[in-house]
Amino acid sequence: MRSEMNPTIERILQNIEKVMTGKRNVAELSLVALLSGGHVLLEDVPGVGKTMMVRALAKSVSAEFRRIQFTPDLLPSDVTGVSIYNPREMEFQFRAGPIIGNIILADEINRTSPKTQSALLEGMEESSVTVDGVTHELESPFFVMATQNPIEYEGTYPLPEAQLDRFLLKMKMGYPDLDEEIEVLSRAQKVPPIDDLQPVVSLEELRKLKKEIKEVYVDDSIKRYIVDLASMTRVHSSVYLGVSPRGSISLMKASQALAFMSGRDFVIPDDVQYLAPFVFAHRIILKSEARFEGIEAEEVVNRVIARVPVPVQRLVK
Amino acid sequence: MKAHLNRFDFGLLLLYGLSFLLIWEWLRPVKELTETGNIGVFIVFVFIALLLSLLGVRAFAGFCIKSLYILYSVHSLYYQGSLLNFSWAGSFIKDLKANFGRIWNAQWIELDDVFRTLLFFTLLWIIAYLIQYWLITRKRIFVFFLMTLIFITVLDTFTPYDAYAAIIRTAIAGFLVMGMLTFYRLVEMENIKKSFIFTRKWMVPLAVMIALSSALGYAAPKAEPIWPDPVPFIKSFNSESGEGQAGIKRAGYGTDDSRLGGAFLGDDQVVFTTEIEEQHYWKVETKGIYTGKGWVADDERANTLDFSEGTVPPMLSFYDTVPSKKRTSTVHNVLDYSHIQYPHGVMNIETDDFYLYRLNQVTQKISSLKEFEDSAPDSYTVQYRSPSFQVKELQNSSAEEDENLSESILADYTQLPSNLPPTVKELALEVTEGKESWFDKAQAVEEYFRMNGFVYDQINAAMPGEDEDYVAQFLFETKRGYCDNFSTAMAVMLRTLDIPTRWVKGYTEGEYKETLKSGKMVYEVTNNNAHSWVEVYFPGVGWVPFEPTQGFSDNVTFEYEVESETSEDTEEEQQVAAEAPVKPEVETPVEAAGTTTSGSMASWFQNLKTLLSLNMKNVTISGVLLGGILAIIFLTRKKWLPFYYVTLFKMRQKEEHFPEAYRVLLMQLQRHGLKRGKDQTLREYAKYVDQFFSSRDMGQLTAQYEQFLYRGELKEGTWAEARPHWESLIKKAG
Repeated sequence: MRSEMNPTIERILQNIEKVMTGKRNVAELSLVALLSGGHVLLEDVPGVGKTMMVRALAKSVSAEFRRIQFTPDLLPSDVTGVSIYNPREMEFQFRAGPIIGNIILADEINRTSPKTQSALLEGMEESSVTVDGVTHELESPFFVMATQNPIEYEGTYPLPEAQLDRFLLKMKMGYPDLDEEIEVLSRAQKVPPIDDLQPVVSLEELRKLKKEIKEVYVDDSIKRYIVDLASMTRVHSSVYLGVSPRGSISLMKASQALAFMSGRDFVIPDDVQYLAPFVFAHRIILKSEARFEGIEAEEVVNRVIARVPVPVQRLVK
Repeated sequence: MKAHLNRFDFGLLLLYGLSFLLIWEWLRPVKELTETGNIGVFIVFVFIALLLSLLGVRAFAGFCIKSLYILYSVHSLYYQGSLLNFSWAGSFIKDLKANFGRIWNAQWIELDDVFRTLLFFTLLWIIAYLIQYWLITRKRIFVFFLMTLIFITVLDTFTPYDAYAAIIRTAIAGFLVMGMLTFYRLVEMENIKKSFIFTRKWMVPLAVMIALSSALGYAAPKAEPIWPDPVPFIKSFNSESGEGQAGIKRAGYGTDDSRLGGAFLGDDQVVFTTEIEEQHYWKVETKGIYTGKGWVADDERANTLDFSEGTVPPMLSFYDTVPSKKRTSTVHNVLDYSHIQYPHGVMNIETDDFYLYRLNQVTQKISSLKEFEDSAPDSYTVQYRSPSFQVKELQNSSAEEDENLSESILADYTQLPSNLPPTVKELALEVTEGKESWFDKAQAVEEYFRMNGFVYDQINAAMPGEDEDYVAQFLFETKRGYCDNFSTAMAVMLRTLDIPTRWVKGYTEGEYKETLKSGKMVYEVTNNNAHSWVEVYFPGVGWVPFEPTQGFSDNVTFEYEVESETSEDTEEEQQVAAEAPVKPEVETPVEAAGTTTSGSMASWFQNLKTLLSLNMKNVTISGVLLGGILAIIFLTRKKWLPFYYVTLFKMRQKEEHFPEAYRVLLMQLQRHGLKRGKDQTLREYAKYVDQFFSSRDMGQLTAQYEQFLYRGELKEGTWAEARPHWESLIKKAG
């Protein structure tokens, strides 16, 4: 699947690899989200290169990068921006918050209050922010990569399930392996290469790519496959709440992006299978028994994939 | 093609020789089954055509040579005078013109022999060309070989042609040609330099294999067919069209008996009607010379005697000493045969008109003439003596008694062909063992046909082959036939015992219609009633008729004297007497013909039923065997299915067959043990398969199939591009 990548995508990925060692799949998935207009929830410990990855991505696509460090005392206006009275002009002027950008790293999103969280999430969902009754459209592309720290639960506000649905993908970054980590150290001795990173595509080109992705063909048999997967999560014995139709739509869109990145103009079941755990896992609420048994949502999704037959024949209408 | 000119190629010569043999097999039966004489001319033509091709003679030169040969042959067959005279050319061209006209008018029957010969030559020319094309250019001969086999087997089944040797010859020649051609094809395909060692490596095992298998096939015991012969059943559907076929005759009176045998078709055309006081057979003529195939009259001695109405016909039936009653029969002719049908012992022939009668002294045939022209009276009355032969007299009669006649009669009526198989005489001796007098011997032979496995059958009567004797074939091989078989066999058997016998042709009494007030019975005689029987000469008594044919009775009375009677004889007499009034009605050939044709389907199924019930064990075993074979075929489908599919999809060139082929491949891979999990995508599976076979075929095929399946489009040329990968994989999966 990786052999015939779309050349533009391949250049972006190679660009990111100049600063990131390994983690190609994370970069890929991030691109999937970026290109299909979704957002990513990264669940990982600090210091594994999340910021570096996002910055490299932003630089490669010549996007404006913003970073919001979420703290318990952060106010919604600190995210969205505020209207300030300008005495000279005799009117309120809108001071844009950090959300007005293209690529936003929302660090430790679970540390802030639900009110502030929802300010970000509204922006993510609607692609606009409303401040003092005035709606400000966000510039496309708008891509949020939120992170949350899975170990520290003291003083955190876990994202409610409904909110999690807003993220296209949830993934883990993980530690680099031995060789990669040595390479990381070697690179750290030099000047941080991120500053030398050159953009690969313009924002305009990126928008064009996004448009092309919408044209990627999804056969009815694939749609059926996606729906089969989603509905199977709804009837799974360990699942309290399965994947919503929005989850199905997300999986399809993500698959389209992945297919495009792989140099195809049609989706194949492999795309769906590869993405399903990332798209579905955080949308499933497990039964408490299952949680006690230590079953994880990803595992459930993988079991579902194993049970739904792949379409290998044309759908008979 | 020219390469073989430089170096003498023995293989090529052999190929041509073998194909010549194959074509020859087509020509052989032509001679036996049609009236084509001079088949040699055509065989030589085929030989020349193939030789020209072998020598690589230029097309034009070859054309000239072949045309000249055809002209020469036609000329020497049909025209007088020198070939260079050109006077024949005019009539030849006229003939051609006339025949083209006939073709135009679809008058196929009227095409004359010259033109038919020309057409046949043309056909052979084309065949010779095709063979050369198949051999040299295509290097394939299977179709021709198969057709030759089918042709021969069909002939063997449905005609008297005996293909026993032909099958063996054809099989050997055909397999050799195919084996050699395969070798040549391989050599050409793989670009191997043909070397002697290579050729030997191929040819020796080939020759050994063919020799072994044909020897084995020849020597192996061949089971009799357990199925009832379907041929008569098929033929009965087609009975009307049988008329023109060689070897099949239509019932009725004919003059040529030189080749007897073959199936006999019923014909209920009425020949004459009679008013008679007593049932009797109607004689037409007798024949004295048996050729091994049939009967001919001794034409050289044919002298005729004329006699007029009111006089006794100058021929010997039986002496006056034989007690007899005077009887009268009247004949009303329906068909205008110019011969007179008469009862044995005829005394006088009368008509209303004045006719002259001419007796052929050799054949006993009486022709009627009016004003010196052959002409048949509308009706005539015959007076005859109805004899009661005294058994005592007959038993006492022997060659010594009648010196005047016996010598010439002995000479004339004990003639036999020199090549008559001695087994006939051996059988005759065996049958008549312990019998002293001629009469007892004759009766023993007559009785012999009543049982001993003989069957009356008009349809399945064999025709003897070139080297076979009509009688021997009937007695020892077929035991199946109609009156000609029985009567000829009896006559020939008696002749081997030096008892003077002649073969009589005529009609049976026919079918009863009504009884007139005068007490006379009206009978109708049709072509179906044509019959043949035997007369045996007893010195001092005359000619005595015998009826060897099963189911027939000639109503000849034999009187046994009370003193000399044995209990057996009495029974026999009673039997004869009892049979006489009842039997003839029931078992006339008309009836026999009817039951064999219309009832054949029912009887065929009846036969089948009986056969099944008799062979329940065999049927069960066969069923189990068949089931086992089917199961094996099913279980080994993994092995043979790929070849089937490869052949199948060779014919399916359209793009839309690609997905089908892909799915077939998936199934075959599954059977090969490469299971695809249901959650496994085609790509993953392809990777797995490719890893297994260390190939890249599956990946490429799958990419194309994905395009069709998930993109919904089938690009032009996909299948053609995918085919090599597909074939390679499906063969690997075998």
